[in-house]
Amino acid sequence: MNERSSVSIYTEWDVVAARQLGRDEAKAVGFGTVDQARITTAISELARNIYLYAGTGEIEIERLHDGKRTGLKIIASDDGPGIQDVRRVMEDGFTTSGGLGAGMPGVQRLVDEFKIETEIGKGTKITAVKWLR
Amino acid sequence: MERLKQQYRELLEQYLASQDEKVLYFAQQFSRKFIEQEVAPEDLVHLHKDAISTLFPEAPEAFKLSYDFLIEMMIHYGLALREHQSMIKKREELQMEIEIAANMQDTLIKTTLPVMEELDIGYVSEPAKKMSGDYIYFTPHSDRKVSVAVADVIGKGIPAALCMSTIKFGMDSLSEEQSSPHDVLSIINRLVEKSIDDSMFISMYYGMYDESTSIFTYGSAGHEPALLYRAATDSFHYLESKGLLLGVKQDVQYEEQQVKLEAGDFIAIMTDGVTEIRTSEGFLDEAIIQSYLRQWKDESAQQMSDQLYHALAQLQDFKLHDDFTVAILKKRTEGLSVGE
Amino acid sequence: MELNIERVEEEGRTVFYVAGEIDAYTAPKMKEALERVTPLEEADIVIDLTDVSYMDSTGLGVFVGFYKSVDAAEGSVKIVGTNRRLHRLFEITGLDEIIDVERIGGGE
Repeated sequence: MNERSSVSIYTEWDVVAARQLGRDEAKAVGFGTVDQARITTAISELARNIYLYAGTGEIEIERLHDGKRTGLKIIASDDGPGIQDVRRVMEDGFTTSGGLGAGMPGVQRLVDEFKIETEIGKGTKITAVKWLR
Repeated sequence: MERLKQQYRELLEQYLASQDEKVLYFAQQFSRKFIEQEVAPEDLVHLHKDAISTLFPEAPEAFKLSYDFLIEMMIHYGLALREHQSMIKKREELQMEIEIAANMQDTLIKTTLPVMEELDIGYVSEPAKKMSGDYIYFTPHSDRKVSVAVADVIGKGIPAALCMSTIKFGMDSLSEEQSSPHDVLSIINRLVEKSIDDSMFISMYYGMYDESTSIFTYGSAGHEPALLYRAATDSFHYLESKGLLLGVKQDVQYEEQQVKLEAGDFIAIMTDGVTEIRTSEGFLDEAIIQSYLRQWKDESAQQMSDQLYHALAQLQDFKLHDDFTVAILKKRTEGLSVGE
Repeated sequence: MELNIERVEEEGRTVFYVAGEIDAYTAPKMKEALERVTPLEEADIVIDLTDVSYMDSTGLGVFVGFYKSVDAAEGSVKIVGTNRRLHRLFEITGLDEIIDVERIGGGE
């Protein structure tokens, strides 16, 4: 089985494909129902953000083993406009009040590790990791 | 989590057997424990699914799947809850900061009432919210002179409060020679024009009283006129003086006027938090303020200020809509006696 | 408390017909409407306050701010139709000396 798989995001339906991939991987790695739902929701938010703000991009999912732990890494990347003010995006209430979903703080809460790399005019890469407890 | 799981299953089992209100009461207490331990709603649904699967191993598959569906639905509720909690915490931090800023402001704008032989002075300055956009400052001068400045920053809350500190520093930097209304207002205007935002303006009333002549010299920068009460005729008069708001134009000339006080006369300088009061029945007629002041004219300037504040606050059900500042300067009917 | 703003272009002038009350709650709406006037260079603007029953100092602040930007761009603003109360506000603040303000029924 592949250790790394990906879905390209072009249309809203690709968000569903990314969710499906995430759920299958989470199940295969051994996550329980609730964590499967969390991982899928996180992927869904990330993919939807790509679709809404960057237009196109990619969701990659990688299985992790570091000797002791097993987990999943989600990488959401795009060549979009980049995020002007990351601190604001990470503020509670920034996106939810606009009805845009859980927003980045929500995604961060669903996973164990979270990192945003962004460059204006070049794009954004968000990395999220969830470990099997 | 394992312990919670077991307790939950036991409670559920008891309820299914008896439908006893007591069990529900326990469940209510138990739910608090969940909140304390920050169990997310989706985890709670999962506990329920587990308990049902254990209690009814024969339950149809569709039943169990329906809980998975519910778990998906609950994830966002869980996030909303956590976001809410984090925002409450943030709000508390913010309130604390405002509290500290308000204390700093209190220290910054503290003014001491000068004690004069002939002039009885009193004032009240109350912010509508935590921080005030009103400013009042008394400066004693040599040769039995005292000056008073009452200013009102247009706008409310924190921006107005920050703006106000500009006036404070401006007033502090004036020299003893720069104490005529004409000079003070044009100096402060230049300072305000330079240092504050284009959308912020300040109105200011400034006056100086000279005990040796009983003359009050005053000027206004877009501030509403002060009220003068004449004891001899038992009548009120406006002390008007033309002048533009501070901060609109760089170079402005301010007029100054003079009036001589007789024993028992008093001057009330107010901000629009006093004169522009709206109650549920509409605007407060300015005549009400005059009738209150007339009623208390024989009391001390401080008592008059306090009573006016209480009476007007009461008319607004003690909810101030704007910062409230009043200063009263009253020429005593007899000189200040020793021991008072 | 409500504020209605209607913007009409009349013979090269931009006229705002304002109705309601301008206070701390509605002032941002007034400000927003005025900020949409571009360019300010040589702009000829009339603000008709005939149907404004009440305005507080926040509202006044909006007009002063707008006057400052129009004046800097060498455009012109005129305020017309101020009732007695509003007119008094412009007088007290000394703004009637720098802004062209005409009270209800004409006259300064």
